[in-house]
Amino acid sequence: MADPVPFAHLKIVELSSDPAGEMLGKYFAGMGAGVAKLEPEGGAASRAVGPYRSGAEGPNDSLNFWFYNANKRSVTADLGTASGKDRLGRLMADADIVISGFQPRELRSLGLDWDAVASAHPRLIIVSVTPFGLTGPWADRRSSELVALALGGPLHMCGYDDHGIPPILPGGNQAYNTAAIFAYKAALLVLIDREQTGSGQLVDISMHEACAVTVELGNPYWFYSRAIVQRQTCRHAQPVMTQPAIFECADGRYVFLALMLSEQKPWQALVEWIDSHGMAGHLTEPEFSEYAYRQARYSEVQAIVECFFLVIDADTAFQEGQGRGLPVGMINSPEELLSDPHLNARDFFVEVDHGAAGTFRYPGPPYQFSAFSAAPAGRAPMLGEHDDKA
Amino acid sequence: MTGKNHAPEPLPGRLPRPRSGPLAGIRLADFCWMGVGSIATRFLGDFGAEVIKIENRQRIDTPRRLPIYKGVVRSYGEEDPNPDPDKGGLHNNYSRNKLGITVDMRQPEGQALVDELIRKSSVVTENFAPGVMERWGLTYERLQELSPDVIFARMSGFGHSGPYESYRSYGPVVQAACGLSFISGLPGQPPSGWGFSYMDNQAAYHNSAALLMAIYNRMLTGRGTEIDVSAVEAGIGLLGPVFLEASVNGRVTRAERYPTGNRPEHPKAAPHGVYPAAGEDRWIAIAAFDEADWVALTDAMERPGLRDDPRFATLDDRIANADALDAKIAAWTQTQDPHAATELLQGAGVCAGTVQNARDLNEIDPQLAHRGIFFELDHPVIGEARFEGEPMLFSRTKPDNWRSAPLLGEDNRYVYREILGMPDDMIDEYAERGII
Repeated sequence: MADPVPFAHLKIVELSSDPAGEMLGKYFAGMGAGVAKLEPEGGAASRAVGPYRSGAEGPNDSLNFWFYNANKRSVTADLGTASGKDRLGRLMADADIVISGFQPRELRSLGLDWDAVASAHPRLIIVSVTPFGLTGPWADRRSSELVALALGGPLHMCGYDDHGIPPILPGGNQAYNTAAIFAYKAALLVLIDREQTGSGQLVDISMHEACAVTVELGNPYWFYSRAIVQRQTCRHAQPVMTQPAIFECADGRYVFLALMLSEQKPWQALVEWIDSHGMAGHLTEPEFSEYAYRQARYSEVQAIVECFFLVIDADTAFQEGQGRGLPVGMINSPEELLSDPHLNARDFFVEVDHGAAGTFRYPGPPYQFSAFSAAPAGRAPMLGEHDDKA
Repeated sequence: MTGKNHAPEPLPGRLPRPRSGPLAGIRLADFCWMGVGSIATRFLGDFGAEVIKIENRQRIDTPRRLPIYKGVVRSYGEEDPNPDPDKGGLHNNYSRNKLGITVDMRQPEGQALVDELIRKSSVVTENFAPGVMERWGLTYERLQELSPDVIFARMSGFGHSGPYESYRSYGPVVQAACGLSFISGLPGQPPSGWGFSYMDNQAAYHNSAALLMAIYNRMLTGRGTEIDVSAVEAGIGLLGPVFLEASVNGRVTRAERYPTGNRPEHPKAAPHGVYPAAGEDRWIAIAAFDEADWVALTDAMERPGLRDDPRFATLDDRIANADALDAKIAAWTQTQDPHAATELLQGAGVCAGTVQNARDLNEIDPQLAHRGIFFELDHPVIGEARFEGEPMLFSRTKPDNWRSAPLLGEDNRYVYREILGMPDDMIDEYAERGII
């Protein structure tokens, strides 16, 4: 940890309590920036969201808050009062970046005007991360993880082959995460710009727009083919329904493998693999080396592959399949990651000291650099923990 | 094929010009292909970097081959066995604002050309299977000899060390490995996971961010860096609090009826779901987090009587009786047009929204239209086409959308003559010999 962290000189004020603005602050804090999270006296709303540490429930024990606020400082201020506004003003005067989650109506009610703040502090970078952006007919509408993924387009593509079942919400706050990473990229661009021009900028990020361009094939199929893709169980939504790509294994776990019958090399590898378990049956017959022949017998192939996975466990399927050059993916649960030999060989997880509560493992930084390192992994702050220093 | 075709003079209106934006003046020797790499370097090209996409005529990039063509509806497994590499819409979307050159790295002259290009570049990017760059001798040490203070970004599924380093991956495999598929679905059912390569997008975004961090750091310190981004690790960082439930509380999600579909455990909400609307496969999402939301929703639905039902008296009651509650909500939504119901509910202050498809985003959504997220550019083979813009508005900075994606080898003449200083007759000879 002797290497310098790249953001050690940056001072950031965070005015956000949703995972988008908080994740943005976490990206900076994780690389050494000083992030002061400004919270109301009763604590940020994110402290009141579960899950909680077992046996504890309070503003300092929300695992939601822990996850999104690691390495930050907590300073309390009520922005509805003169003293709170004064504290924000003093923090902004000294800051490089302000992160805001306020929608336009909230800004007006708080008497906050980003254009005026920008004029008063020309080097300041203001990153606004809101559900719909600061402009446009929906700027003051309500959103949430589910509603953002619905309006933005990703949700339409996620669910089951049975279209009587509604589209199903993917887990982990991904609409907020998508807004956060775009906000981070935009903030980095403006930091680079400021090195050249000396001036900050206001950056306006919309979670809705970030989701609307994070649908992979969804938009291109509309742009070019005027086709609407159809959701399919745990595989790509496409203009037509395709064959299943997840397979249950002997231990009840699933693996992902897309059967690409058109490519000869993976086909041969698959047949040899199944044959090594004595289960390939007539797939070894020479006619099956013809693409058209096996394509016409797709359901037979599918049935044999399904039977094959049902007699080996998922870890065997993953290791043996990958050993034969096949892109098999094991569908891991969160707790299984903690004992993953590859992740542990890379020292991916970091230990975070939570004092009396204990020391717990967190995901490490999502990027590694030879020239500099992440900040030492720190915990989220207690409510008002850094009031004295403010 | 004749040499003339391999190194054409620039087409009218498509000659590379100086770029604008915070990254203007930064040149990338870009070996990226497929989804992750192409999306990662696209961001830098959009904001002024000169991204020179290096391609191999013997191994055409997948987005050039996938059958996303104007006027044709084919699933992406049904590609043309002998496709026109300049017709692919996905390539156009992924590689706009980039230059494109071809080179055969199996020939020593081809490797020498790439060495020269790296000498003239300050960033090198790649997302090959591990070992490919090493086979060409293009290690970070070698790149530093060619271009001091170079930034070398390596993008992969599992990272450039560890027992799974050489394992194959693409979006769905990454989503499986990192836990994102497992945490998405209905209890007691197989995971529904993701209907697209979400982690191709997210890994690309993290790779763009890592490149910007490295560029910023180099501006401050003068030092370059090697970057290793594992898509699986980036995905684990996106799992959210459920990861800490495993590591802090020892929760074993595998042993439970988990995940919980459209009724997430946190934050508390009910009704919270995706409800049928009028029309074929049309749906509306509704999320009510507290009493005020419940009152506003039932008033907007003109069903205030639901508030007198003891099963729905408090938020905890509504969560406990979510099946009965959802049936009441669905009885109302299924007669409603989803867009009209969204207007009605949002107008009443309820958190709700149509499950929009790509047609809705492009043809109906007034917010996206107001902010101008999509834009059009012409292309010599494809014609006019629509593109996904960058979702960010700045006080001053603007993306520089100067050109649609390069034809295969379109910028050979320009790059080899203007940037590397090769004489025209040598370029012609290299084209004849298939080196470029």
